[in-house]
Amino acid sequence: MSKPRVAIFDFACCEGCQLQIVNLEEEILDLIGVVDVVEWREAMSEQSQEYDIALIEGSITRPEDEERVREIRKRAKILVALGACATIGGVNKLKNNFDIEEVKKCVYGKDAQMPHLATAMTKSVDEVVPVDFKIQGCPIDRKEFTYVVRCLLMGKTPVIPDYPVCVECKAKENVCRWEYGEVCLGPIIRAGCGARCPSSHFRCFGCRGYTDNPNVDAAKEVMDKYGLTVEDLKQKMELFGSKQGHTI
Amino acid sequence: MRKLTKSEFQKFVTALIGSDQQVVGVQAKGDRFAFGPLERSEDLRLDYDVTLLPPKKYVLPQVETLMTYEVGGGYQSHMDSEKLILLGVHPYDLVAINQMDKLFGQDQYDAHYMARRKNITLIACDVVTPSKNVFASSMGTAVVTEGYDILITDIANGYVLDAATDKGRALMKLAPGGTEASPDDLAKRKAVQDKNKTQLNQHPLKCKPSYLPKLLERAYDHPIWEEKARTCYSCGSCNTTCPTCYCFDVQDDVNWDLATGKRWRAWDGCLLENFATVAGDHNFRKKRESRFRHRLYRKAKYVPEKIGGEIACVGCGRCITACIPDIANPVAIYNALLEDIGME
Amino acid sequence: MCECCSSQKDIYLPELATIRKKQKFTRLEMYYHVELDSGKELGHKAGQFVEVSIAGIGEAPISISSSPTQSGFELVVRNAGSVTNAIHKLDSGAKIGIRGPFGKGYPVDEMKGKNLVFICGGLGLAPQRSFINYVLDNRKDYGDVEILLGTKCFEDRFYVDELAKLAQRKDVSFTETLDIGCDQWKGNVGVVTTIIPKVKTDLSKAHVLVCGPPVMYKFVLMSLAEAKTPKQNIFVNLERRMKCGVGKCGHCQMNDQYVCQTGPVYRFSELGHVPEAI
Repeated sequence: MSKPRVAIFDFACCEGCQLQIVNLEEEILDLIGVVDVVEWREAMSEQSQEYDIALIEGSITRPEDEERVREIRKRAKILVALGACATIGGVNKLKNNFDIEEVKKCVYGKDAQMPHLATAMTKSVDEVVPVDFKIQGCPIDRKEFTYVVRCLLMGKTPVIPDYPVCVECKAKENVCRWEYGEVCLGPIIRAGCGARCPSSHFRCFGCRGYTDNPNVDAAKEVMDKYGLTVEDLKQKMELFGSKQGHTI
Repeated sequence: MRKLTKSEFQKFVTALIGSDQQVVGVQAKGDRFAFGPLERSEDLRLDYDVTLLPPKKYVLPQVETLMTYEVGGGYQSHMDSEKLILLGVHPYDLVAINQMDKLFGQDQYDAHYMARRKNITLIACDVVTPSKNVFASSMGTAVVTEGYDILITDIANGYVLDAATDKGRALMKLAPGGTEASPDDLAKRKAVQDKNKTQLNQHPLKCKPSYLPKLLERAYDHPIWEEKARTCYSCGSCNTTCPTCYCFDVQDDVNWDLATGKRWRAWDGCLLENFATVAGDHNFRKKRESRFRHRLYRKAKYVPEKIGGEIACVGCGRCITACIPDIANPVAIYNALLEDIGME
Repeated sequence: MCECCSSQKDIYLPELATIRKKQKFTRLEMYYHVELDSGKELGHKAGQFVEVSIAGIGEAPISISSSPTQSGFELVVRNAGSVTNAIHKLDSGAKIGIRGPFGKGYPVDEMKGKNLVFICGGLGLAPQRSFINYVLDNRKDYGDVEILLGTKCFEDRFYVDELAKLAQRKDVSFTETLDIGCDQWKGNVGVVTTIIPKVKTDLSKAHVLVCGPPVMYKFVLMSLAEAKTPKQNIFVNLERRMKCGVGKCGHCQMNDQYVCQTGPVYRFSELGHVPEAI
């Protein structure tokens, strides 16, 4: 049996998720032992026309990128969105909170109207084409990435948590950030990261996106209990939660 | 019963650490406490209030390999065989472990759990510092008279050690010096336990725990479940931190050769949204309030029915501390029900 | 394994079995005839289930659709998740893991001499068939036998050849309906409750066995209440998330009942204190 052909593409992003793949160290040898990487700008120069699995990093911010991602979708049997930018729009979606011309002016100044700097509202990959699987996180979790790849190779739907970060945070025996008066997004954000931030004494920033059915109403009420306001919550949700379905 | 001075006790712990068994003891973790591998006797903190997670994590690990296999071929059982001393288990957590022994041992014998359990020596200790949410006195779990291999009681000028089993007595041979506990020592020990019987009670339950199954028989459709669960995140923190929760999920993962792999089980929680979802996506416990109610019913009705009436809430108070919206407190719920529908 | 537990069997360890026959039933359902590699019979009772294990993917609970009176056992597997999808890819000769049989099954002896009415919805035919065939193999032990089957559409029917034979039998009454009719179908159209009034047996005295999708029970049970079937004569076969199969993992629990141990077949009158059941 020939090895599955895998291609990795990047759109608007910092390429940090691809770096996570490069950083797999010894495991990367295991990985390329079972797949045939046919296109990966970050690590090789070859290009290919079709692939069994396409991994897409980054969000879609320009009309021509929409075309490109549609083309990739056509050629890929399985399309996987890799990392927060691709799965939920990521930090890039912050700009959707503002007028697009204002954003351009603020970032590019007098060059704002140059054609190569054209930019549109940020979209996650699944706002443009159907996505088969999502590997969440900013950046992705290496263990989860390799697990998902193995599942796809086995023809199995990976089991990605749909429960909140609190599950993993409590399992790690962290003291709840709320006990220290911080607005941690853990209770409404999808687990799978191993509660990386709270384990390093930071609140959850929400990079893995909301759970399927987050209790956002509870989140608002709880603010009251802790002497905080919904505005405080909104502000904390903005970084990764901008213009997402469940954002308040 | 033996009495060891504090310095003799420290030598005893050092001797345990030096033995062929791994010693897991309570240590500081930031401004809280946790069970972890003990490397130096001075790190042991028997004055702790409560640990972040119960010692359950060593009896029923968070993730445990059940078997290895060849894809398309045979399966091989995987059993843990490491000998372990659990040092500093509070009475309420001990009761929880004893309950789990029954649940995994009875009916369909769980060889994985029982093999590991047989390799564990339980050294319990009476509570010195009550935690902010403990209500063990209400649940009758503040002190224990059985279920441990050794029970340690801090009597200020030393420790009284009660070795109750062969396993415990064998370990006591490693204790240097010490004396037979005097009547005075025993009186001090009794005083500590008598005090705990009533003082580990930050949330007093307004009925005997044995009444709870009867109370719940009449409370199934009470509005309290919906009221409380309205702000439930379904985050399962009450499950994860609970010493008596033992539900688990089973999953597979293969090695990179895609030809071999393992099947493991991991902690699960009935509060989590898809706990009862079957293939095809039908969720048999879809509502937050149904899941919320299920936990309380398991603790005080369903599990007790399986283990001879013992209530499966031991009053450690961890769920109260862990619950961000502050809805998990079992005593608050039971008391509210008592107030509303009364005793029969 | 240490000495102290070597006498205790590992309840989570599957035993190997071989697929002897495979047949495509519908777009979602596949039929399998399976034999244990040990050469032993599974020794199941009608209405029990097994956990089918695919190494590297996981386990799925599958009802046994064959009668204990036949050799080997049959499974009808709906492709509804990773495990069942993997099973569908397997052909004759392939190895699978089996744990079980689990659950209590039907009280086949208690029902001897009684008139039986089977009400099956869709895939609910599969578990019921284990008892239907048991009854047919011991036909003289039972009274009147009526079978009602409701299927969503023509393409979703399975065990089609057997259904045709059932319709021919003089000692069994078989009535079938489709939720959605079509040109190929000349029979009844409507959900299964619409053919309950066609039952010839006196429902107030019969034993009625019900199995189908979750939504079906409420309506069938309403019809049976109208027909005055006593609750203790109604048996429902309930699906839940049977994961460990041995009453430990908690996933299949409905109130105090572990379906993998006390079900999946329940006497309706015993579910009075189990509001999560229906």
